[in-house]
Amino acid sequence: MTYLLYTGCVASVRELGYEMSMRAVFKKLGIDLKQRDDFNCCMPACLVHSVDYKRGLALTTRNLAIAEEEDLPLMTLCSSCFGNLSRAKYLLDSNQALKRDVNGLLGEVGREYRGKVRVEHVVTTLYKDYGPDGVKKLSVNPLKGLRAAPFYGCHIFLPERYAGFDEAEFPQKLDKLINATGAESVDYHEKTSCCIGCGAFFGKVSDEAGLKLAEGILDDVKSSGADVIVATCPFCIMQLEVGQIKLRESEGKEYGIPVIHYIDALGLAIGLKPDELGLDLRRISVSPLLEKLGMN
Amino acid sequence: MVETKDLLARLLDEKKLSYCQDCGSCTGSCPMAKALPGKYNPRRLLQRVSHDLPELLKSEELWLCAWCYRCTERCPQGVQPTEIFLLTRNLASEGGMIPENPKAIMREIMRSGRSVSVPDGFDEWREGYGLPPIGATISQKAIEEQRKIFGEEYLRRIEA
Repeated sequence: MTYLLYTGCVASVRELGYEMSMRAVFKKLGIDLKQRDDFNCCMPACLVHSVDYKRGLALTTRNLAIAEEEDLPLMTLCSSCFGNLSRAKYLLDSNQALKRDVNGLLGEVGREYRGKVRVEHVVTTLYKDYGPDGVKKLSVNPLKGLRAAPFYGCHIFLPERYAGFDEAEFPQKLDKLINATGAESVDYHEKTSCCIGCGAFFGKVSDEAGLKLAEGILDDVKSSGADVIVATCPFCIMQLEVGQIKLRESEGKEYGIPVIHYIDALGLAIGLKPDELGLDLRRISVSPLLEKLGMN
Repeated sequence: MVETKDLLARLLDEKKLSYCQDCGSCTGSCPMAKALPGKYNPRRLLQRVSHDLPELLKSEELWLCAWCYRCTERCPQGVQPTEIFLLTRNLASEGGMIPENPKAIMREIMRSGRSVSVPDGFDEWREGYGLPPIGATISQKAIEEQRKIFGEEYLRRIEA
């Protein structure tokens, strides 16, 4: 299978560990990735769309039009990119007048959106192409004894009509994929909460809000007894790692909870080494996790 | 220039604002309201769209939504607060009322094609981890295309 890689800004600039891990795992699974140098930012709804609804949509949709030229499904790393691109696709595919207007703007640069493209995310792809049974078969090095707290994030499953991935109120697919690696997914209250990592750009107010939410999530994970948080989105990973560092500095709170992406867990289960997965780049040490797995 | 009453008509009609029953599912679902009690409240924000629009357009509260979409997913009446906030922000943007933080990120997007600036020597660093280069910016042609799609008037709004 070949996908057109949409690295997005945050994954390729701030989360190299995630990108390394994704490339290493996909290579081992035989998933080919094609790359281009002309995708623009997915244009978060909270930014450019806030200035002008249709022009914001057109800028997001330009990426979909490029993917259609390649005739390949789009593979996003970041749940926010996945959400913004899926939103554009949903809105345009369900509203012909809006699609005409947006295509009018795209026509000025010689592009057109037809509605043929498929938008995927690393985790949606793993679920659709392999599923829990496939992952179980691939897991030659099952993560036995590991208690993992799934952190879904938002845009991979919300709103359900844009994302089309999992149930809006009780998503379970990340839990199932985690269990398929041999680890045990742990239930906790904040599992489907929002960290506001990708959508809050209002400076100090949202920084404070983000830290407060991170603290609530981390406290809950701590009391669940999980060894690790397994996320789907680079923003969630950053919020929950940086949150631990800030809370240590400001309040002397010591969580020591490693935060990894699902692809890291899968990578370990299929026999890749921690450094091949960029786990040495994590902001919170993964040593306790590797020790538990006997991989140190 | 979009007239205030046209925008209200559009919100009330297309996005079903008039269906709001004031039940508070949006606020109960909102992470920002949870983090900032007394400071942010989407239910109250929706009321202000219909009753206090001119003041709302000048307020900080209008720019605090983090786009998690829980309110839009859960509203029992099918109101889409996220879409309503976008259109309301569009009106604030017409009046030149865009806060500095989002403006700075949008300027970076229009300059480099990315929301996060790439530090000098970044591709060598990536290479050290076996990752292919991404360049300091996306291709020049792509940058020109995105500036053209956004348009002069809107570029001026974020550069002001």
